[in-house]
Amino acid sequence: MDYSNLRRQAASMKKGLFDQGHLDEQFRQVEDLQDEASPNFVEEVAVLFFKDSGRLISNLEQALEKYPRDFNRWDAYMQQLKGSCSSIGASRMKSECMSFKDNCGKGNVEGCMGCLQKLKREHAILRQKLESYFQLLRQAGPTGAATRPVM
Amino acid sequence: MDRRRIRVLLVEDEEIHRVVARAVLRAAGVEVEEVENGAEAVRRVRESGAGGGSGAYNLIFTDKQMPVMDGHEATRQIRAMGVATPIVAVSSDSLPPDVQAFITAGANDFTPKPLTKEKLGHILAKFGLA
Repeated sequence: MDYSNLRRQAASMKKGLFDQGHLDEQFRQVEDLQDEASPNFVEEVAVLFFKDSGRLISNLEQALEKYPRDFNRWDAYMQQLKGSCSSIGASRMKSECMSFKDNCGKGNVEGCMGCLQKLKREHAILRQKLESYFQLLRQAGPTGAATRPVM
Repeated sequence: MDRRRIRVLLVEDEEIHRVVARAVLRAAGVEVEEVENGAEAVRRVRESGAGGGSGAYNLIFTDKQMPVMDGHEATRQIRAMGVATPIVAVSSDSLPPDVQAFITAGANDFTPKPLTKEKLGHILAKFGLA
């Protein structure tokens, strides 16, 4: 197997994630924390992020239904999700979080709903792209295939 | 200062933030203890020989929104014990009123989440722990 080609593909994929605005500098900060003692740190943080963000989105959806026009509550949920996005550098998702909060501030229900749908799309896109990226990294690594964590 | 002798208390309920902050702190070579709410932070500070000024920790990082007791109240209670350990708020709520509320409660500084190596470097230098 051509490992150097796989590594090039992974690097290109990662560049694409930055160029397309899915990730920002914080992702590099997280990468910088990966070392021999924590060789899978980035992927572990990503798994944690998708578990966390999935839960927060679900909580928010329930809140939208159960507490109509409770913009303070909706905003509080979105603030948590925004913080989670910041931790891994999920830039596009973070922008949608901020738009949602903006709409909460204006009391715009339709705006909030629209932002949430965009957020869910960005979440799904980022998840798929990062899954592919980490899969490629695993293939390109010196030991080849590794146990695949559930994202 | 020998970084291995720097004890930091990290007060944060969200796992992802704890994981990243823990990694940043360990990369800096400091000793990290973690709790998940303000009440636990107050208890740890009290049990670690608080009072008489500095307590057992060299630095405390605290989030704002946490279950049981939030960061503002924890900061107030730690200060009420006479503990002078630098407290730095680390929160996604970074509007001026949020920052001011922490300073009023007794925090020494505020930094927006997430904690990074660069931010930590500035903070350690600011409090003479670099």
